[in-house]
Amino acid sequence: MLSLEGVSVRYGGLSALTDVSLSVGEGEFVTVIGPNGAGKTTLMKAISGVVPLSAGRIRLGGQDLAAVPAQRRPHLGLAHVPENRQVFSGLSVLENLELGTTPLADRAQSAGNIEHVLDLFPILRERTAQLAGTLSGGQQQMLAIGRALASTPKVLLLDEPSMGLAPSIVDMIFERIARIHRETGVTVVLVEQRAIEALELCTRAYVLTTGRVVASGSGRDLMRSEEVSRAYLGA
Amino acid sequence: MTDLLPSLETVLQTLATGLLVGCTYGLMCVALGLIFGIMRLINFAQGDFLMLGMYFGLAVLSGAGLGATIGPLPALIFAGLAAIPVFFVLGWVIHALLLARIAQRRGATEGEAHQTQLIMTLGISLVLSNGALMAFGSTPVSLNVPFASQAFILDPLGAGDVLVFLNEARVLAAVAALAAAGGLYALLHRTDLGRQLRASADNPLAATYMGIDVVWSYRVTFGLGFGLTALAGVMVATYYPFQPYVGLDFVIVMYAGVVLGGLGSVMGSFWGGVIIGLVQQLSTLVLPLQLQGTTVFVVFLLILLIRPQGLFGRSVERA
Ligand SMILES: Nc1ncnc2c1ncn2[C@@H]1O[C@H](COP(=O)(O)OP(=O)(O)OP(=O)(O)O)[C@@H](O)[C@H]1O
Ligand SMILES: [Mg+2]
Repeated sequence: MLSLEGVSVRYGGLSALTDVSLSVGEGEFVTVIGPNGAGKTTLMKAISGVVPLSAGRIRLGGQDLAAVPAQRRPHLGLAHVPENRQVFSGLSVLENLELGTTPLADRAQSAGNIEHVLDLFPILRERTAQLAGTLSGGQQQMLAIGRALASTPKVLLLDEPSMGLAPSIVDMIFERIARIHRETGVTVVLVEQRAIEALELCTRAYVLTTGRVVASGSGRDLMRSEEVSRAYLGA
Repeated sequence: MTDLLPSLETVLQTLATGLLVGCTYGLMCVALGLIFGIMRLINFAQGDFLMLGMYFGLAVLSGAGLGATIGPLPALIFAGLAAIPVFFVLGWVIHALLLARIAQRRGATEGEAHQTQLIMTLGISLVLSNGALMAFGSTPVSLNVPFASQAFILDPLGAGDVLVFLNEARVLAAVAALAAAGGLYALLHRTDLGRQLRASADNPLAATYMGIDVVWSYRVTFGLGFGLTALAGVMVATYYPFQPYVGLDFVIVMYAGVVLGGLGSVMGSFWGGVIIGLVQQLSTLVLPLQLQGTTVFVVFLLILLIRPQGLFGRSVERA
């Protein structure tokens, strides 16, 4: 469904990603873990097309994305839940969700999708008229996820949805992500620092350190691996 | 003592004129505020856009002789309606050929892009005003429509001793301004396009993740701002003689109104413009002629001191 071959990204002189290759099959749930500054967000941005590649190739459903600008990628079924949520803070909750349906041509489908999101996150239903910037952090995260789901994506990119949230909220968010994956069969790429929770959810995982993939395997294997547990799980 | 106080009639007359003039200022401010609010761009060519609108009005009414063939009022309405698409396209082209190109220079940060765009609008302003000087000369011209010297007469007390005259050209201009600002509000808040424009302003990165072409949003915004300013120009030209530098008479008003309304609040800009119009006219009641030009500045500075976020802006609006 989604594959990266030898992807490198540079910010000026700094190499943020070096020769990263990974592949995600249709309906898979793949997690990428790594410490601060490993390049996780850069990886997501490269897939979304908002940072240019200095080398390598990204394919979505077999199509090379090199010639597809960032704003066309959602129309191909890519949805990005960015780091720090990035909701439209001066717009209402409902408008945020409506913006999520931008890639869809069919209005009836858009309305149906928004209903579906409001069923998934009932707290948003009570607040459709509220400005998104006045929501709590957890609610903003639900909105950012809901906004991405509203386009019926084929691939859902989630960049540290746990960031800055209380543990109980994190559990709830992870539970919803698992449910979304189970019920819709959407392909999920989750980037996390919280390794344990993220590894439990996934079918397969990659470990990213200073811009390189240093390990990969099933979540279970990685949790047991010496290297990973020492570096990321504090064990 | 009593004859030092302005009469009721004078006060009402001044208020009415202030409101009418203020509505046209409001439209100019809305256009400037739209470009600033969505693109975060300070457009130095705004006064020249207004000037081009005035000459467009002249070209349609006198140049093309429409004023004589279909009558001045239909010709004016036609000129006003035509100005929006014509200058929308011109704004679109200016953005595509000039503003977007320098903003997309490789390696430019967002801040640098804004600075170069700002300087570019200064250049556009110089080209437009000097181009107009070459094309139209420096002699002031006017539209010479009959309703510029006609007035609706109000009798607010019903007794016939207090009469308020509403200049017909100014009434028309105010009506057009209200309609255009209302239309823009509906566009921004009731349509998919408007929602996309506001999203592009609110969070350009997230807008891109939604599949919105943010540069295209800016282009539409610049075109709309140009079109609305040109409409204001057509309407003001009916009662205000003009030459290629006429924009300078209005830019201070526009900036003051936009700041007053709260930078970034598009509809606040309209009320900012209305207030400037009122203040300008009311000051004629109490101040000697030489000082009237300064009132706008004084009010502007006071507002900045007391409420820097503007009267209608929210201090949290720009995160
Ligand atoms: N716009 C940028 N310009 C220059 N350097 C950048 C930029 N964005 C990220 N970097 C650098 O690239 C490296 C990778 O950053 P990235 O944000 O991708 O890491 P991350 O794994 O998401 O970190 P975190 O866990 O803190 O979110 C870091 O060294 C960072 O300083
Ligand atoms: Mg990150």
